[in-house]
Amino acid sequence: MFSNCFPFSAVLGQDRIKRALILNIINPNIGGVLISGEKGTAKSTLVRGFSNIIDSMDVVELPLNITEDRLVGSIDIKKAVNDGQKTFEKGILYKAHNQILYVDEINLLSEHIVNILLEVLSTGINVVEREGISYSHPSKFILVGSMNPEEGLLRPQLLDKFGLYVEAKGETNVENRTEIIRRRLEYEKNPKKFCLKWEKKDIKIKEIIDMGKEIIKRIKVEDEDYGFAVGLAKQGNCLGHRADIILIETAEAIAAFNQRNRIMEDDIKEAASYVLPHRIRELTPLEESETSMDDNRMERNNTENSPREDSDTVQKPLPEEENMNSDTKKEGIKESIEDIVGGKQKININMDFGKKFSNKGSGKRAKVKTDSSKGRYVKYKMPKGKVKDIAFDATLRVAACNQRNRDKKGMAICIKSQDIREKVREKHTGATILFTVDASGSMGAKRRMGAVKGAVLSLLKDAYQKRDNIGVIAFRKDKAEVLLNITRSVDLAEKCLKKLPTGGKTPLAAGLYSTYQVLKADKIKNPDSLQYLIIVSDGKANVPLKSENALEDAFIMGEKIRNEGIKTMVIDMERNYIEYGFAKELAKKMDSEYIKISQISKTDINASIKSLLDINR
Amino acid sequence: MENNGLIYPFSAIVGQEDMKKALILNIINPRLNGVLIRGEKGTAKSTAVRALADILPEREQIADCIFSCDPNDDSFWCENCRANFNKETGKIKKGKMRVINLPVSATEDRVVGTLDIEQAIKKGEKRFEPGILAEANRNILYVDEVNLLDDHVVDVLLDAAAMGVNSIEREGISYTHPSRFVLIGTMNPEEGDLRPQLIDRFGLVVDVRGERDVDSRVEVIKRRLSFEADPKKFVKEYENEQKELAGRMENAKKILNDVVYSEGCLSVAAEIAIAMKVDGHRADITFMKAAVTNAAYRGDTKVDKEDLFIAAKLSLPHRMRKKPFEEGVIDFDRINDIIEKSVL
Repeated sequence: MFSNCFPFSAVLGQDRIKRALILNIINPNIGGVLISGEKGTAKSTLVRGFSNIIDSMDVVELPLNITEDRLVGSIDIKKAVNDGQKTFEKGILYKAHNQILYVDEINLLSEHIVNILLEVLSTGINVVEREGISYSHPSKFILVGSMNPEEGLLRPQLLDKFGLYVEAKGETNVENRTEIIRRRLEYEKNPKKFCLKWEKKDIKIKEIIDMGKEIIKRIKVEDEDYGFAVGLAKQGNCLGHRADIILIETAEAIAAFNQRNRIMEDDIKEAASYVLPHRIRELTPLEESETSMDDNRMERNNTENSPREDSDTVQKPLPEEENMNSDTKKEGIKESIEDIVGGKQKININMDFGKKFSNKGSGKRAKVKTDSSKGRYVKYKMPKGKVKDIAFDATLRVAACNQRNRDKKGMAICIKSQDIREKVREKHTGATILFTVDASGSMGAKRRMGAVKGAVLSLLKDAYQKRDNIGVIAFRKDKAEVLLNITRSVDLAEKCLKKLPTGGKTPLAAGLYSTYQVLKADKIKNPDSLQYLIIVSDGKANVPLKSENALEDAFIMGEKIRNEGIKTMVIDMERNYIEYGFAKELAKKMDSEYIKISQISKTDINASIKSLLDINR
Repeated sequence: MENNGLIYPFSAIVGQEDMKKALILNIINPRLNGVLIRGEKGTAKSTAVRALADILPEREQIADCIFSCDPNDDSFWCENCRANFNKETGKIKKGKMRVINLPVSATEDRVVGTLDIEQAIKKGEKRFEPGILAEANRNILYVDEVNLLDDHVVDVLLDAAAMGVNSIEREGISYTHPSRFVLIGTMNPEEGDLRPQLIDRFGLVVDVRGERDVDSRVEVIKRRLSFEADPKKFVKEYENEQKELAGRMENAKKILNDVVYSEGCLSVAAEIAIAMKVDGHRADITFMKAAVTNAAYRGDTKVDKEDLFIAAKLSLPHRMRKKPFEEGVIDFDRINDIIEKSVL
């Protein structure tokens, strides 16, 4: 886009990303590449530098702020107004045909835009039927995406559309790091001079690509190559046949890159390291040990390179996870009550590798089409009632089609009320999750608090990615205390919980009253947000709020909360000889989910809370 | 913070040396990628940013260009300048760098730009109406309470900040323009956190705290009151100091490209980054840039250990946290150790 961007060949290391990009040009049938990695690892720099190398293709960028009309194309307003003609104005999908389509931060792209992309990716055709325009054109492109998994995951359907998957990582040795700084500083001092210096190397890469494109035409795939590829895909438990096909396409490109007319077994193995990571489904420990015993070492490397171990957000492989679970359990017993049971590593418990990619979690609890004028404008609609948020571009396009018999009064265009269209905005709406925790003396016994803290904390990382708001209320002695008002800061929530002391009586009603107030106030501030309440208590209320009966007061407050339509869950901590079942009764009165901690481990608490949160997806 | 159009002078701010340093370094070298100021309320965060306006340097810009393109650097020109501007004959004017405010309530269309409605109705033409990102090119983009900004606005801000380019594909408009700005954000951490991805985009981060020392606190009150009583007189009192600071910054800008650093400095940067387990390479690069800029600010053309210390203090703490949850405890003793032991 702008000349003199950082040269492709001057990026030190990141060979796998470079290779993946090159292979895609040699063989456009591979189907693009997803670059995932921590921040500051030259992901976007590489893609942008790459556009200077290839002259047969352009890199068309799809910015996050895109609206539907610019993606698919729409009516040409100028022609409609001036000549009364309905002509199609091309959108990004037209521009991207036979080119590279690059989406930076692809995991942050709005839902609606992703849906359109998915459709075009699978059909290769962009069909436009809107605003009196009927048009279709082929749109086949190499999709290149980059993302930082910390910010949320990608939708599995979209993930599967990427042929290859590579990870970007920082260099870890001093010499390489120094060289990186040196080059960057040199570049910034004088970009032009720096680019000239690296031009030759860039040209060399281009020559290899051009040669590869010639060679690949002559490559013949042997039967045993197919067999080997299918075998690899099967070992990875990949769904469907896409993996097999892309394996072969990629292996062809690798052979061509190495200037060979034949595919070697190693080419397929190398291809597997790009093609399979995001397609492998859960491996049982048995399968894993088999593959490591196998003389096929590559396959093992593969699983090691696969995102599940490298990425922060992902679970450890099964055997290790089991170890860890038992470790942390042991720790839990040793630890004092105030501490959190379970290490931070244990976060995201019920998400194993296979589910990582099939999980619906894609960085938000819910995308709400919002009525307020906040949020990202993605498309338009016919207005109902009073128009608040006019979509001027859409209105203009509709009006442009109907100019023939209108009095324009000297203007270029006349807009009537029936032309008016309204914006549809989409907004990430994290949920509001409020924890109301019983911190009375009875909760301190038998390390119950530790278990609760552990369970809650492991939810927090999930909450961060989904941009949830969190709040904590604790009640003990004679009053409830809002420890943390509804906030985005998950760190604060963590600190609050860590410090939470136990002891004293159980003013359950007061706790619920505070809860009610906090949630109501939050509803006014964030009318779109989904509210969830998690009550942790043994239900043995003994401090009344208004009347004489502590329990009765609690039930009344509980019903009040229920009437607000807030999703709730009661985690019953009662663990006595004689059980009163007050918490259960409260849950019943509140129409809430109910789980009892003595019956289940905290892993299950997480699972249950998560399933509660997922209901409204 | 303004009184009869007068701004509280930058050099009259008591203490807060790190914050002042970070701001100054960024103006000398806009490639430092901005600064995030974290701190409680009432710690002169906004005052300091607003006060900058007075000491910002003058630079050349292409006359009539809404993006104030730099006549001397054609690699970042906007479409229009690229097509029409002639280096020999084109008109150039001098202009001060400005502080552009991005309000928390800003909508995405105002930030990235949108369709010009007037042109559309009068002439049936689609024209791009520039937004805040256009105005911010080559200027300072100031976001107060950056942590309260809407998520999707943060996303586009990030995008532009990273590439120095704003691409718009919306509302029938397809347009690309340069948007290279010094991003200055302030936030009160009590109100919620910033996503690590955004924090990482800020070159430097400083944590400010109210002065703890009684004498300094008294001085803060005294100055504030005398500014409010007679702003004109107060500003006059600091005129010399302001001029001196501006002059020093201008000089630093001039010699910035001549500053040299030894191989030893580069190794220190890399070693610290590895020892502190920072993500990616932005930390090392910013660290070196900050050191170089600090040397220029001292009026020296060679990076020394003091520059490295200051650079570490300003560029590393916020890059320490590996995961959203782990607290980044920065081990300054270790850093000092690495710097002390190094041979420059």
